[in-house]
Amino acid sequence: MTKPMREIAATARPFDTVLIANRGEIALRILRTVQELGLRAAVVHHASEADAPAVRAADRAIEITGRTPVAAYLDPAQIIAAAHAAGAGAIHPGYGFLSENAGFARAVAAAGLVFVGPTPDAIELMGDKVRARAFVARHGFPVAPSAVEDEDPASFVERARAVGFPLLIKPAAGGGGKGMRIVRDAAALPEELARARSEGARYFGDGRLYVERYVENPRHIEVQVLGDSRGEVVHLYERECSVQRRFQKIIEETPSPALSAAERDRVCEAAAGIARAARYRNAGTVEFIYGGGEFFFLEMNTRLQVEHPVTEMVTGIDLVREQLRIAAGEPLGMRQSDVRVEGHAIECRVYAESPAHGFVPTAGPVLILRLPEGEGVRVDSGIRAGQRVTTAFDPMLAKVIVRGRTRDEARARAHAALGDFVLLGCETNAGFLRRLLDHPAFADGAVHTGFLDAHPEIAAAPPPAPDLVEKLLAIAALSLRPVRDAADAVPPLYAAIGAWRN
Amino acid sequence: MRHAFTLADVEHELWLARAGDGHRLHLGARAIPVSLDRGLDGAATLRIDGARHHALVSVDGDHVHIHLDGETWTVRHADPVQRHGHHHGASADDIAQAPMPGTVIAVHVAQGQAVARGDTMVVIESMKLETAVKAWRDGTVAAVHVAVAQSFERSAPLVTLAPED
Repeated sequence: MTKPMREIAATARPFDTVLIANRGEIALRILRTVQELGLRAAVVHHASEADAPAVRAADRAIEITGRTPVAAYLDPAQIIAAAHAAGAGAIHPGYGFLSENAGFARAVAAAGLVFVGPTPDAIELMGDKVRARAFVARHGFPVAPSAVEDEDPASFVERARAVGFPLLIKPAAGGGGKGMRIVRDAAALPEELARARSEGARYFGDGRLYVERYVENPRHIEVQVLGDSRGEVVHLYERECSVQRRFQKIIEETPSPALSAAERDRVCEAAAGIARAARYRNAGTVEFIYGGGEFFFLEMNTRLQVEHPVTEMVTGIDLVREQLRIAAGEPLGMRQSDVRVEGHAIECRVYAESPAHGFVPTAGPVLILRLPEGEGVRVDSGIRAGQRVTTAFDPMLAKVIVRGRTRDEARARAHAALGDFVLLGCETNAGFLRRLLDHPAFADGAVHTGFLDAHPEIAAAPPPAPDLVEKLLAIAALSLRPVRDAADAVPPLYAAIGAWRN
Repeated sequence: MRHAFTLADVEHELWLARAGDGHRLHLGARAIPVSLDRGLDGAATLRIDGARHHALVSVDGDHVHIHLDGETWTVRHADPVQRHGHHHGASADDIAQAPMPGTVIAVHVAQGQAVARGDTMVVIESMKLETAVKAWRDGTVAAVHVAVAQSFERSAPLVTLAPED
């Protein structure tokens, strides 16, 4: 972070300890800034992760319990009790879990604590995708053709058909790709609606749906915004997150290779306008679908995003620091003209999954872990050697973020950094990420959000060349005691005869 | 003694023999002089055909994890006894296996029930996505291996249909 930033004045701080209500890489990343600001960092953790890096680095760690590990992080009463126990004056929710739960934000305030996030009203507005769309449309910003179940449930299926195919079903209360389905065929619509309704009801306790026209070959462009409690808003330019699989982002970058300078200005100003209209406070992200020179509002995420580091890498602005300053009641530390982008940044998400086997999640011990280093390389990781990767939590293990002067330099650095990312014991998608970075479509900046689903061959790892097979089998055979012992038990002469028999 | 190793879903048979200070790897028609020096923290140096290659290696039971030239690989050593022990009972064609680890959301069939091709038998959830496991042919349910709320690993049997006549 190169830019000087006004610190929270020590005397004016409304809190000196921040409870981080999250885990994994984001808990550690938030903790780093909290401690850099001279504040104390407390984290909650499930018993299964008592050894995690964030727990070790925290000034205070508090165990939480639940029916499942995830359930523990979704329990507002327990999180607030932990904050009191740690003497924390503020709670940072990170992303996921309770980060976009208005009830939690209200409960935090009612407990006399500061919620490091937007107002509950803003969370509610943007969390209800139907209301959010209507709000954005009312303020004159573009949205895609759609049908909303709530407006007249009896005619919903008919109105959904009228939107036209392909269409996208979304849970009204959803986000992050959960429960979303593309339907290309009218005959499949009733069953897909039933499935989406069931998923929505289970994940969000709300089975209401809406459908919208699915833009073919769309690009996902989002804009980082910051707003303070005085109503000031700036944008920190866009990120492109078009490399996705089933709505899950895999690689993100900034600037977007898809936008002209005029389009960039238009989309960034629209995002800032939406945030301003909502009197948005905190860091937030306005997401758009972009295709054929047009962009439509998708949703606004009222939290820190997984991919926030690419913005930090090119602007030099620490978004967590800004969140904490805004939560402390300070005005924005910058004007729009102070925000400058230098270079190009790419983030690659390292997942515990097997691309060659349909991206099934993988699990296993972290036997050896070596993280890449070097010029322009940042790694946000939440794992350490000796831990076990399980399927109890999200499969994202770490993020490799690089910056270069140009997109090609960033791409080359990302490729090299992923080659230096060593995790033995649990399969990851690192090799797949390297193939993606090398793919001509990505090199040309021509990837749309359906690209990976349309090109499953990229996921299938090419078979190792014969000389590589020989090396790997030799290492394996020589590393296994029983194989070595069997070889050493045979006298050389017989071994030679054995070879002839082969 | 021959050994079976699986690498990238392909099985390889090999034979390792002592040769002077090192070993000889017999693979297909090739006999390749090899040796491996293992250092600290998983570092290893392979000598093969006179060339040296640096790798990181970690052994976990019969799995050997290897990082070599920027890529990670896992080689599995198949125990010769276990290798031929799978062929009892139902054939793989009669079993619906879990495509990935997950949790059972609903079970729509019971043992002895007749199902038609396309009937939903079990609904599972893995990584945010609900998937209906459907009957892939007409048949009779021989066994339901899971119950609602139960977690399972990849390749776990979910439902077995009675073998076709």
